[in-house]
Amino acid sequence: MASRPAGLGRRSGVLAVGVVIALLVVFPVIRLGYVVWTEGSGHLDEVFGGPGLGEAVTNTLLLAVAVTAVAVPLGAAVALGLRRTDVPGRRWWRFSMLLPVLVPQFVLGYSWTQAYARAGFTDTVFGLPWPSVLGPWGVWAVLVVNTVPLTYLLTAVGLATRAEPDLERAARASGAGAAAVLREVTLPLLRPSLAAASVLSFVLTLESFAIPQVMGTPAGFSTVTTTIYRDLSLGSDPLSFVEAITLALLLVAITVLVVVPADLWLGPRLRVNRVADSAGAPIVTPRGAAGRWIAGGLGVYLLLGVIVPLVALVTTAMTPAVGVSRSPANWTLDNFAAVVNSRTTDALARSALLALIAATLLTLLGGCVAVLERGRAGRAMASLVTLTLVLPGSTLAVALLIAYGRWIGGTLTLILLAYLAKLWAFAHRPISGALDRLPPGELQAARASGAGALTAVRTVALRPLAPALLAAWLVCFVTALHEVTMSSLLYGPGSETLAVVVLNSAELGRVGLTAALSVLLTLVMLVPALPAWLLIRWLRSPRRACDAAPVGRLSHAG
Amino acid sequence: MPADPSTGDVLEVRHLTVEYDGVTAVDDVSLRVARSEVLALLGPSGSGKSTLLHAVAGFLAPTSGEIWLKSRRVATRERAEPPERRDVAVVFQSYALWPHLSAVDTVAYPIRRRGGGRRTARAEALDILDRLRIAHLADRRPAELSGGEQQRVGLARALARHASLYLFDEPTAHLDTHVRGVFLDELVVRREASGAGGVYATHDAEEALGLADRVALLNSGRLVQLGTPQQVYAEPVDLWAARLTGPASVLTVTVVGARDGGASLDFDGRVFDVESTGETSGGEAVPLLVRPGWARLGGELQGRLLAVRFRGPHSDYVVDTAVGNLLIREPGPPRYAAGADVGWTLSRTWPLGRPGADARSLAKL
Repeated sequence: MASRPAGLGRRSGVLAVGVVIALLVVFPVIRLGYVVWTEGSGHLDEVFGGPGLGEAVTNTLLLAVAVTAVAVPLGAAVALGLRRTDVPGRRWWRFSMLLPVLVPQFVLGYSWTQAYARAGFTDTVFGLPWPSVLGPWGVWAVLVVNTVPLTYLLTAVGLATRAEPDLERAARASGAGAAAVLREVTLPLLRPSLAAASVLSFVLTLESFAIPQVMGTPAGFSTVTTTIYRDLSLGSDPLSFVEAITLALLLVAITVLVVVPADLWLGPRLRVNRVADSAGAPIVTPRGAAGRWIAGGLGVYLLLGVIVPLVALVTTAMTPAVGVSRSPANWTLDNFAAVVNSRTTDALARSALLALIAATLLTLLGGCVAVLERGRAGRAMASLVTLTLVLPGSTLAVALLIAYGRWIGGTLTLILLAYLAKLWAFAHRPISGALDRLPPGELQAARASGAGALTAVRTVALRPLAPALLAAWLVCFVTALHEVTMSSLLYGPGSETLAVVVLNSAELGRVGLTAALSVLLTLVMLVPALPAWLLIRWLRSPRRACDAAPVGRLSHAG
Repeated sequence: MPADPSTGDVLEVRHLTVEYDGVTAVDDVSLRVARSEVLALLGPSGSGKSTLLHAVAGFLAPTSGEIWLKSRRVATRERAEPPERRDVAVVFQSYALWPHLSAVDTVAYPIRRRGGGRRTARAEALDILDRLRIAHLADRRPAELSGGEQQRVGLARALARHASLYLFDEPTAHLDTHVRGVFLDELVVRREASGAGGVYATHDAEEALGLADRVALLNSGRLVQLGTPQQVYAEPVDLWAARLTGPASVLTVTVVGARDGGASLDFDGRVFDVESTGETSGGEAVPLLVRPGWARLGGELQGRLLAVRFRGPHSDYVVDTAVGNLLIREPGPPRYAAGADVGWTLSRTWPLGRPGADARSLAKL
């Protein structure tokens, strides 16, 4: 008898979450298509005939291909280097490889311009400028640096879950050398992970906005997202509005064209059917010159990609004006003092509040979907949520603006809705993954010991899930805090977020102030991130000790 | 101590110590395996069996000590040859079959690495699969095979290596009893045919005793005892070794007189002569090992049955005696019920806990 109310509860849960998804994502996107159809009739010829659109689409596609072609092999090489060789200081490298994603995209791009452009850091200190840092090459380089951590992580996860150490050992014991094992065992096993990394890298580049905007736009290099931004925030004629919504629809169409076939092919292959055995560590090439070479390569990559730009950013922030030498004698905190005004602190408060509410709601929503997807009806919903991961932020923002702008345009509520729609998958994935790893026997044992469904979850599942819940919250908070693609399209008077303030400051050409704001934006993230990260580590530590003991596996069913 | 490396041993391990992640997993172990000999490594999980095998295979480098394969030194602290250049084949606990290769391609893999052409490699692989009676599974991938079939493919891959030493890392741990029996039978047949040596890690005493020519008992990385299956079963160096190698009862009695091949023991006032293969001297209380087959019901010593268990071919009786609880195993269904007073007697014992009682014992904890 107890099953009926529970079934009902689940069904109404699925219904409620389904309505939220429909309101946040499905309806706005359909509405966008409808508006393009009605408003665009008659104008579409002009839009497609114009010079801007074709160039933006071509640039975007070329950029996505070029970034993917470099970021995926590079990320895979880093993963193999860190997981399969004896690099000195491996633990430290694994952490520092993630640095580029901890810096907001906008800040990373801006700091590159401060580091390498004419009159930048390397020009004034060493006389070595790289003028094309503003323009396609610079955009490409920073996007690669920003994407490599992701492709590295995906490959490393693939290595951990697919390339069981015994599979490589078996090849070695069959007479294959290290290179042959890589070619014939490790890489074939990694193929689905590499393909997934490629798709994600391609899609993320398609929808990237902050980096092309800060590094490409000044040099006249436009992409789809920067064109949408220009049309909506600067353009005033109806034609530019039609161009913006057409591009928004086109962007999601391209994404779907890439993602759907990839998902059909990858879906069954990415399902992990074997849990990595705890039978010892992977084969690690013993102490040798290779480790030092890899460490050197990683060092150069981090130095040029992150450290030099950030140093340049900080020195710019501490230098009174462009043209003044960056020597310590001239250092001052004037720029920091100048940016700490009511406009900035208001924006900071808004950003923090928005990120706090968004992260908390998203963790709840992500948890709901993760629990509900265990039932049959919830599975389609979970797929839909995962799709929002690749729904371009620009498209989503334009769609929400068209659907609800009449009532809540320019308010923080609309920005919050955009964050919820865009980041839902960010919260869902880690929680869903942790639920998958939870042995089903543990909950059953709790039920068999007399706990009700909710009590079982609270007493047995919550503790092992806590790190994932915190991680989901943290990822959403940091991403929301840094978000600029959607915020810059949706903000109105009195609802600028800190990231928007930084973007506007850069567009006004206030170099020192922008640098100071960028430093501030990066540091703000650390306030909640450090304690949360320490807490996650602490929560995970006792389980670590248990994992070391060899665990017998269930025999494969015959 | 190191012997002349030109002997017929296919493996010699000298004072091997392996540390990793700050743990000494193998601690000063020395042992040898002769041609066509199988050595079982018997120990609980975490005793260092797998680590020892991984060091011999070349997956781990020694912290100190040496490994010789067929009179060639392959690993020292300074220099460890990679696995592919060692003359060894490995059968893994979790089968370690490559999910992207079919059974025949998996077995052909070592042949291809030796330089065999694609067609000859596949032909030889099919031949090996046929000998193991799984040729009909040649085109299946691991996901389409049962556990027992997967392990036979794993064995076929190892056989295709034509190595002079085979390493088995608990190959039956994930197999159920019947499939395990089939696999072990095949192993015995293959082994007689090939003449290669083998090292077989297991935590199952019955498997180790039934399969190996000699058994090495490992505890916390140290070699506790090395001997034939009969020796480690009948003459374990200590209580730990006795419990590891099979069912064991321990009686505490006083030795009142010793003579050649036997001893007089005081069982709570009754003096009793037994055949004893260990050295004993009079006057001291010693713990005595009694295996289930060394005692029988019906005799002048008195006890009470604590429990009776029917095991199919035989029945187990737990007897409460004045000198301790004793497990007696007799063929057939139970003859008495629990709670009955019974007589019992001993035919053989082994004194425990005396270092040096066995000349072959190498170390005691």
